[in-house]
Amino acid sequence: MERKKIWWMIKKDLLTLWRHKVQFVSLILFPILMIALCGWGMGGTVENTPVVIVKQTSGYITDQAINAIKEDKTFEVKDILSDPDEAKKMVDKGEVKSAIILSSDFEKDGSRNAILYIDSSDQMTTQMVVPTTQRIFASLSEQIEINKIASANRNTNQLTSMKQAIKLQINKIYGEIEYIDFLLPGVLAMTMFMSSMLGLGDSIAGERERGELARLFMTPTSISSVLTGKIISQVVKEMIRAIILILSAMLIFNVVLNGSLALLILVMLISVLCFVGFAMMISATAKTQEDYIQIVMPLAIPMMFICGVFFPKETMPWLLQKISYILPLTYAEDAFRAVMLQGAGLSSIAMDLVVLLMFTALFFIVGVVRFNRDI
Amino acid sequence: MKYAIETNDLVKVYDNNFKAVDNLNLFVENKTIGGILGPNGAGKTTTIKMLTCLIPKTSGEAKVAGFDITKEPDEVRNRIGMVPQMVSLYKDLTVRENVELCADFYNVDQSTKDKKIDDLLELVDIKYAQDKYVKQLSGGMQQKTSVVASLVHSPDILFLDEPTVGLDPTTKRVLWDLMVDLNEEGRTIILCSHDMYEVDKICDNINIIDSGKVVANDTPQGLKDQLLSNIEENNKQIRESIFKLEQEGIDENKEQINGLKSSLTDESEKVTVLVSNINEDMLNSLENLDVVQEVTTLGNTRLNISLKRSETSVNEVISTILKNGGNIASIKTNDPTLEDVFVAITAKSRRRINDGT
Repeated sequence: MERKKIWWMIKKDLLTLWRHKVQFVSLILFPILMIALCGWGMGGTVENTPVVIVKQTSGYITDQAINAIKEDKTFEVKDILSDPDEAKKMVDKGEVKSAIILSSDFEKDGSRNAILYIDSSDQMTTQMVVPTTQRIFASLSEQIEINKIASANRNTNQLTSMKQAIKLQINKIYGEIEYIDFLLPGVLAMTMFMSSMLGLGDSIAGERERGELARLFMTPTSISSVLTGKIISQVVKEMIRAIILILSAMLIFNVVLNGSLALLILVMLISVLCFVGFAMMISATAKTQEDYIQIVMPLAIPMMFICGVFFPKETMPWLLQKISYILPLTYAEDAFRAVMLQGAGLSSIAMDLVVLLMFTALFFIVGVVRFNRDI
Repeated sequence: MKYAIETNDLVKVYDNNFKAVDNLNLFVENKTIGGILGPNGAGKTTTIKMLTCLIPKTSGEAKVAGFDITKEPDEVRNRIGMVPQMVSLYKDLTVRENVELCADFYNVDQSTKDKKIDDLLELVDIKYAQDKYVKQLSGGMQQKTSVVASLVHSPDILFLDEPTVGLDPTTKRVLWDLMVDLNEEGRTIILCSHDMYEVDKICDNINIIDSGKVVANDTPQGLKDQLLSNIEENNKQIRESIFKLEQEGIDENKEQINGLKSSLTDESEKVTVLVSNINEDMLNSLENLDVVQEVTTLGNTRLNISLKRSETSVNEVISTILKNGGNIASIKTNDPTLEDVFVAITAKSRRRINDGT
């Protein structure tokens, strides 16, 4: 008997989704939109920064410097001027992000000067442009010195070995991981979390507000049957959303999936259960959807930032790092990153999954106990 | 089982210490149509929520269909149906899907389910719309669907909370007839409504609730008679007081006497007679009758007459009109309405609360 009721709850929610075209389209488009925004808008790589070069002298070194700047993807050289003041005005007006000024003594040995005039209000561009410019000029300086020594008939092999006195070997153990690869697991966890919150809000608080739940609770039916049906239908919806999100990321941005797909689906399932449980616990006592949103938002929004969705947790202050350990999103996001980026196996993420399951059990128990049948 | 609903000192105190229901003693006889009236905030909805096992009571006892609402809630739920004011059906499901969902939630026998649903849809005349989504239906059709969903498990008791709000007069009448038919089939109907005409028309018995207590309980006519006798009793006391004050000295007590006189309630019986051939003799004869206080004419065919209440006063008026050559087309006495009763009782109840008695 109870199975039939649970099935009705699932059927009702899925039929409503199918017949409510806006909801259905949103289910499909939302994950694609999320990944497109994150991939293109927050990809983390600064390229084609508009710059202007000021050339106050001519010569071989000046040409070398200009070519090096032009060839670097970070820059898009808008113009080459001779007047430094004009170049600075362009930066001040926001026409370009920086001006690279090669001074009039740039061709003279011992007094070569270059000035980087940069709009530091754009912190992300500054962080990228300054080291790139430093790298270009360091490389150029090194080449000038090597050329000088070589022209003095010294052993160039010795010079090369001097240059490589310390060899740095970079070994990227998980391959070429870009920011979008780092971002995807976090975005996946965050999308599942937010849509579980909002979806169950309508499903429980909304139905309570519209009196639909009251009709069900006036029948000889246990609270747990109704909630189980609601949770299963929400889990189905969130799994569809998550799979669309992963496929979009793979197809649009060639995102890497180093781990097992089956394990990833298991992590998704447990995470969704946990998030839906959390939403159910909150909606247990919310009389209206507005009440529910007022409770959920102050909890959900900080969670997205504390749990390391956009930046590694380790870069956050000590207190926030500690708080993140009592939030389920942290463990979901850890497990996703481990499977997707590091190719971790079940044993490596077992602790994350156990913690998520413990949170899930806690949320369900508290939710069912606190849930009341009141209209 | 004498009572379908039986509460003894039922109390509900909410978490904010608001006492919504205060030692309520409510009785509705089995297989009758019982009305529950009360001003907004009187405790009606809280009472219904407790009786339908949606919220727990704080103290006291309540039985519905003979079962305790706290100890045997599922027995209660199996025997009640509820038609709420706000149509609480799933708008994206069809009429039939909504009813089937309710049938399965009430554990209706699968072998008889389809036939039962068909019969009920035919009963309220919406079978033709069974495959339409609820959101496509008019308010009246949605309410009919709600009734079907509430009856699908053949409950002994049907609660209706403001079922006809916002419906057109024809649909209202269809629902009233349905309530009466269901009652005749042996079901108890509990009707919560602010529509006094509706309650007066179909209820066998009325409980008026105010401030969480039953402040009046009788048949609709009984309540109206009570109001008249209360007015007479009240006027009698006022007249005695006026008489005493006049004995003590009219001039000294003039202000008090005038105040008391203005508090007298008009207890005369108002009669409207539709009559042809109104003439001077007829009017004079009517005015000379002891039972007549005032006669006014409205147009050439209508007489409005104020009478002293007595068993024979209307007879005397009819005889006088006929004797003077009048032909009576209709006669209507303007007795107090249920609305008059409601206003008088709830106002009195509020005064008592304000006075602390």
